[in-house]
Amino acid sequence: MKSWAGLENSSFFDASARERALGMVDKGTFTELLNPLDRYCSPHLPVLGTAVEFDDGIVTGVGLLGKHPVFVVSMEGKFIGGAIGEVNGAKMVSTIRLALKAAKSIKEKHPNDYDDRRPLVAISFETGGVRLHEANAGLLAHAEVMDAFQDCRGTVPIVAVVGSKVGCFGGMGFVAAATDVIVMNEEGRIGLTGPEVIEQEMGKEEFDASDKALVYRTTGAKHKYIIQDCNYLVEDRVGDFHNVLAEVADMPMAEIEKMRRIGSLKLVQEQQELVKLVGDMQPKDSMDIWKHFGNKKPEALPEMSTAEFLKVVKRRKRP
Amino acid sequence: MALEILEFEFKSAATQGINKEWSHFGVTGSGDLEVLMEKKDLGGAVKAKVVTPVKGFDAVWEKMLGKFVDDTGVGNVSIEINDDNATPIVVYVRLRQALAEATAKEVE
Amino acid sequence: MDELDNTMIGRGRDAIEMIVDANSFDENHIEGFEFDPEYGPGSVVGTAKIDGQTVTIIANDAQAFNDRFPVVFGGVIGLEEGYKMATAVYRTLEADKDKPLAEKRPVILIVDTPGNGPGKMEEIAGMNKSTGGYQLALAEARKTGHPIVAMVIGRAISGAFLCHGLQADHILALSKDFGTMIHVMPTTSVSRITKMDIERLEELSKSNPVFAAGVEFFYKLGGVQEIVENVEGMRDAVIRHIKEIAAMKAEGKSELLGPWGRGILGSKRGGRTNRMDTIAKMNEEFDVVADKYINA
Repeated sequence: MKSWAGLENSSFFDASARERALGMVDKGTFTELLNPLDRYCSPHLPVLGTAVEFDDGIVTGVGLLGKHPVFVVSMEGKFIGGAIGEVNGAKMVSTIRLALKAAKSIKEKHPNDYDDRRPLVAISFETGGVRLHEANAGLLAHAEVMDAFQDCRGTVPIVAVVGSKVGCFGGMGFVAAATDVIVMNEEGRIGLTGPEVIEQEMGKEEFDASDKALVYRTTGAKHKYIIQDCNYLVEDRVGDFHNVLAEVADMPMAEIEKMRRIGSLKLVQEQQELVKLVGDMQPKDSMDIWKHFGNKKPEALPEMSTAEFLKVVKRRKRP
Repeated sequence: MALEILEFEFKSAATQGINKEWSHFGVTGSGDLEVLMEKKDLGGAVKAKVVTPVKGFDAVWEKMLGKFVDDTGVGNVSIEINDDNATPIVVYVRLRQALAEATAKEVE
Repeated sequence: MDELDNTMIGRGRDAIEMIVDANSFDENHIEGFEFDPEYGPGSVVGTAKIDGQTVTIIANDAQAFNDRFPVVFGGVIGLEEGYKMATAVYRTLEADKDKPLAEKRPVILIVDTPGNGPGKMEEIAGMNKSTGGYQLALAEARKTGHPIVAMVIGRAISGAFLCHGLQADHILALSKDFGTMIHVMPTTSVSRITKMDIERLEELSKSNPVFAAGVEFFYKLGGVQEIVENVEGMRDAVIRHIKEIAAMKAEGKSELLGPWGRGILGSKRGGRTNRMDTIAKMNEEFDVVADKYINA
C-alpha cells in the first residue's frame, strides 16, 4: 500500500479507482460501502462467460473533507471499460441518495452550521457508458442518476472528476455535464459519442479516430476548459484533485451554482449561443473555436504544460 | 459459456498468516486478476477459489497457487480470485503483491 | 417486413394528431413564448388539448433535416433539438409557475428517435450538454408536479431514449407488432464490439431482460409502464396515465413515478433482480458508520 504522501503525490491518471477514492478525501477517512468482501458481483456477466469483479467495477463509499461528508463514486476503467450495469449502477445511484439522506440528518442535528457540514458528492468518471452485457439495466440506471442529481440541486453539490484513461463517454458524458462542477487533469476527456462512432458516421476524412491529437482537441480537458465546460484544470496529482474538492466543499452553494453549464433556462440560452457560433462557423477543428475566443496561436495550446496553458489561455466569456 | 469455478485446498507449513482480517488487491482487467484474502482458521491450510472465463487450466492454477503457498509458507488464509485471462506469471506476481498488502502494517 | 405496414416509425407528427384533441395542436407556441420555426427542425414542440386539458407536446420529426447540422435527420436529436426541447419544458414550468399542483399542465413526449447527434461539431459544442440539459429540465418539471407521459411510437434507442423518454413519470410503448424498438444496441453490434458469440447472444436475447432488445423486455424491467396494443389505443392510454400520475402526485407518491419508480416496478416484475438488494445493503452499511460522518 502506498503511504499517504505517496498516494497524494501520485498520478491521478495512473491511479486505480480505489486509490482515487481514498486519495480524494482526507487522510484515513474513507469507508468503502459494498467493499470487495461483500462480493456484490454482476450476476449477468457469468451468463455471457465474462469475468466478474467483487466491486463490479465501481468503488463507492464515504469520507470527509474537513467536516463535510463526501460521498464518493470511483469508476475502474480496467474492468470492462468502466461500463455501467445493474449492480454498479445501483451502487452509484445509492451513493448519491445517501448524500441526500445525510444532508437531511445534518440539517436536523446541526441546523446552525449546515454549510460547514454540507455533504458533497464526488464522482471519478472512467467509463464509456452503458455496459453492453446488461445494457437495459445499465441504461435505466443512467436515468436514475440524472433523477438523483436533480434532487441534489441546491442542497448537495456534485463534482465530476475526470482524468483517467478511458475518459467519460456515452451516457455518462451527459451525466458528467449535469454535475455542478467539473474538475479535470490534462488527460481528461468528456464526450457523448466516442471517436470511433464519429468516424463511422462521418467518414475518416472528416474525423480520423486514430488521430489522437484530434480526438484530444475535440473532447480533451483543454478544449473543455476553453469553452467553460471544465471549471478546474489541475495537475495530474491525486492531491491536486483532493485540494479542489476541499475548496468546493467550503464554497457557498450560490457560488457553486454559478459553475454549472446546464440546468436552467438561462443556462440553456447561454449554451444556445455556443451552438449558434458552431453552426455559423462550421468549425473543422476545435482550434477554430479557440481562435474565436481570442487564442491567437491555438496550435500552440495542446503542447503546453498545464501551468503554461493556464497562464496564457483565453476562455469563452460567460454572460 | 458460464464461468469456471475452481476450488483448491493446500497444506501449508503455515509459517506466516496475514495481519488483516481481510485484504484486497488488483483489478479484473484484461490479462489481469483481483485477489481477496481472508484470515480463516483452517488448521494451517490454504483454501483457494478461482473464477475465470478460461477453461482447461485447472492444473496450471493448482501449480501456481501451490507454488505460492510453498514459497511463502502462508497459512490459515482463504483466497478468492476473479481472473480475466491472466498468464501464470501474472497470477504469481499478483498473489505475492496481494500477500504483501495483506501483511502490511498501516503505513504513514 | 410486410406486417409492418402499420408502423408508426417516422410518423411523429401523425402521432400528435392521433393523440390530441382534433385540430388543437398549436406548434411552436407555449403560453407566452413563440419558438423560431427554423430552429431545431428535428424536434416538434407546442401546445395542444387532450380531453380538453392544455398540454405541452414534445415530439421527434423523422422527416426533417437540419441544414446547419447535417447529422440531424431521421429523428436524430441534435444540438439545437435538445435545447429546443429543454426550452419547451422550461417555458412550460414558467407558464404554470404560480399555479397549484393540480393545475400543472401535463407534458407529452412522443418518442421516435434513433440517437443523439453523433458528429464532430456536436462534440466540439458539447452534445452531452444538450441532451443532459433536456433531461434535467424534464426531471425538474416532473418534480414540480407536471405529469409527464412518454409514448414510444417507433424507435427509442439508447442515449436518445435517455434524453427523450426516460425522465418521464410513465412510459408507454406501442407493441412490437408496430415495429417499435427499444434497445441500446442491436445484437449484431453487441457481438462485434464485445467479441461475444452471436449465436449465444441471440439465444440470450430471447429470454434475458437485462440484455435483450425489445418493448416486452423493457416492460419486465419496469422501463415501460404499459404496452399499448394498437394505434387507436394511444390517445386513451395517454389520457388515463395523465390522470393516474396526477392523482399519485396529489397523494405525495412521486417516488413511485419516474426513474426511481421504474426501479421499484422492475423489481416487482422480476426483471431487475439485484438493484433493490444492492441499494438496501448500501443503506444498511452506511447506517452503521453514519454517525462518524454526520457529526464529524
